[in-house]
Amino acid sequence: MQHARRTTASLTAALAAGTLALAGCAGPGSAAAADSVVVDYWLWDANQLPAYQRCAEEFERQNPELEVRISQYGWDDYWRKLTAGFVAGAGPDVFTDHLTQYPGFAKKGLLLDLHTLDATQDVDYGGFQEGLADLWVGQDGAQYGMPKDFDTVALFYDRNMITEAGLTPDDLEGLDWNPEDGGSFEKVIAHLTVDENGVRGDEEGFDPDNVAVYGMASNGSGGTAGQTTWSWLAGATGWKFTDADVWGTEYHFDDPRVQDSLAWLFGLVEKGYMAPYEEVGTAPNPQQALGSGRAAISANGSWMLGTYANLEGVDLGIASLPSGPVGHPVSMYNGLADSVSAQSPDPEEAAQWVAFLGSDDCQRLVGEAAVVFPARPAGTEAAIEAFGEKGLDVSVFTDLVEKKQTLYFPVTEEFGAIDSMMTPIMDEIYIGDRDVSTLTEVNDRVNGLLE
Amino acid sequence: MTETTTAPAAATTTASPATTGAPPPRRRRRVTPGRVLAWVVMILVLLVTLFPFYWMLRTALSSNGALYANATSPLPVDFSWGGFERVFGLQTTEEAIAQGGSGASIDFWLYLRNSVVVATVVTVCQVFFSAMAAYAFSRLRWRGRDTVFGVFLLSLMVPVIFTLLPNFVLVRELGLVDTLLGIMLPGLFMTPFAIFFLRQFFMNVSTEVEEAALIDGASKVRVFFSVIVPMSVGPIATIAILTYIGSWNDYFWPLMVSYTDESRVLTVALGNFNAQTPQTGPDWSGLMAATLVAALPMILLFLVFARRIVNSIGFSGIK
Repeated sequence: MQHARRTTASLTAALAAGTLALAGCAGPGSAAAADSVVVDYWLWDANQLPAYQRCAEEFERQNPELEVRISQYGWDDYWRKLTAGFVAGAGPDVFTDHLTQYPGFAKKGLLLDLHTLDATQDVDYGGFQEGLADLWVGQDGAQYGMPKDFDTVALFYDRNMITEAGLTPDDLEGLDWNPEDGGSFEKVIAHLTVDENGVRGDEEGFDPDNVAVYGMASNGSGGTAGQTTWSWLAGATGWKFTDADVWGTEYHFDDPRVQDSLAWLFGLVEKGYMAPYEEVGTAPNPQQALGSGRAAISANGSWMLGTYANLEGVDLGIASLPSGPVGHPVSMYNGLADSVSAQSPDPEEAAQWVAFLGSDDCQRLVGEAAVVFPARPAGTEAAIEAFGEKGLDVSVFTDLVEKKQTLYFPVTEEFGAIDSMMTPIMDEIYIGDRDVSTLTEVNDRVNGLLE
Repeated sequence: MTETTTAPAAATTTASPATTGAPPPRRRRRVTPGRVLAWVVMILVLLVTLFPFYWMLRTALSSNGALYANATSPLPVDFSWGGFERVFGLQTTEEAIAQGGSGASIDFWLYLRNSVVVATVVTVCQVFFSAMAAYAFSRLRWRGRDTVFGVFLLSLMVPVIFTLLPNFVLVRELGLVDTLLGIMLPGLFMTPFAIFFLRQFFMNVSTEVEEAALIDGASKVRVFFSVIVPMSVGPIATIAILTYIGSWNDYFWPLMVSYTDESRVLTVALGNFNAQTPQTGPDWSGLMAATLVAALPMILLFLVFARRIVNSIGFSGIK
């Protein structure tokens, strides 16, 4: 007994000593300057971090009593940490938000209505590029995000490859497409496809099972939105995702126009014009396909401009998407925004930062970094100019917005559930295991989730 | 009497690594076709094992833009130190972005210091406390011992993801968010595995030695430090190395707790190289350089302690 008691005492002492020693080891905590309010701001795009740091410096100069602390986490980590942060009440004050995520956050009451905050209630939400602010208006009429940038889709290609095929970059301008025979767009893709024996896709004796160069780079099945894969095809037939621009209550996957568009795109695999699913898997890398000469044309979003421009050995050309049965090209038009967390202890200060993020001052700074197109026209102009200085003519991306040849990203309730159901189905269609006509039945299930 | 009982025990344990380590006299074997074949197979296996490391190095020394055009080239493509420069934070953000890297600034040595502090403190504390607990579970007799041990074992079955949020909330309530202590805390005192692992070894230590020490008047604490611990150096070293590696590689928990550079550990900071998509293409050369650099301390640890780890397997058989 004597022994046992002594053991306990020593253990306790050791434990206490250990804890004390450890407390000493802990690094300096998050002790911020006591007299200034710190606004925590999170974003995921490291490429834009320098530009936003400049914004923060400017903001702090104008508001000496406020301090902005920017944290950046990669895409996957970002959403995990944000979700955990919300659950534990340790999230940011302001964060970059995505259209697929905000309906869920808004529904759970995690976002503040910008109309209710002093600094953001008088902002002219019509002063952004057309329609961007509307994407962030909830069903309750609340403004859940301050538009920050937008993106559209175009065709990236290697000029060298086009010339080798006996075409000129001009031949890629003004192409037309339809879901029946693919129009002049399919003819170009066929001509740019080359098999192992050097036979082109539109020539006699082409072997679709042994292709060296695919005319069209694969970017996977695209899931529910098909942002860079099929939305621009289906959109060019006049099809829309839902019955309303935002907050639709009915999806339209039963429409023959989208089904035919999907059938045409994934039909390219059998023709040998696009890589099969087995080759690209779940992590398609169209920029690699273009860079390695495995594919000739890659449809991708404006946010990828920097990556494509850096491909060595590629003389980058950018062409507009082909125009469809509606008579012009249609691109998905997606926008990011900054949201204020309902858990923020200093919502008014957070709103001041958000108002600055949405101002011409900050968006011009972001535009000058030539990474994305800021949502304010002044910022967009700055970006066009900055890209131009790098030798990139980006007008094909911005013309789509000016001419309103756009299709909104589907903003509906239950997007997460719909997406996890649709993605494997779209993969099956790409693989060739499922007929597009089954989407009619799938559509009922999707709409069932919305009821 | 005290002298005579404890001293031999200590002597045998300290001597044993040396004796087991010394190569026994061996007959020279003749070169037969079978042995040549065995060597060839061994070398092939070695090459297959080492190739990924070479490929990492080759990619780390390449330029991002040129990689895609020469995906199968066995040598670095368009040789560049850019990947390593980004890892050590030697490039300006403009340079980094131009080379396909990220715009995040990297304070490599700070992250390294944090990682070393976290892994070292966690290892020292966890092994120490777990060893004491294991001793209690294997040698002390108290009511409900086996039931408590069963409960500890059960907790091995709880997936980490279940305890993540409760732990996070607790750490936040304690005001330890964004501190190294917050990162260390969940594994600081024990893990069921470490206790279980050490308990099995302690059970094999002969009771005679311990009883002799007790008869000589040593307290239980003295027995633990002077008999049990010295006789289990191998297993303790093994669990220490495992803990160190596990703590070094831990990603998700430090990601949750860390908010600023002050508490960022190396794995989390280098995660940035991995997570560029979908915004841009991955920074392959930076990612590979980062992975190599982060793995280096672990590789060194293995080189230094490899013999220890192998020995520890022997230990369990001896006693």
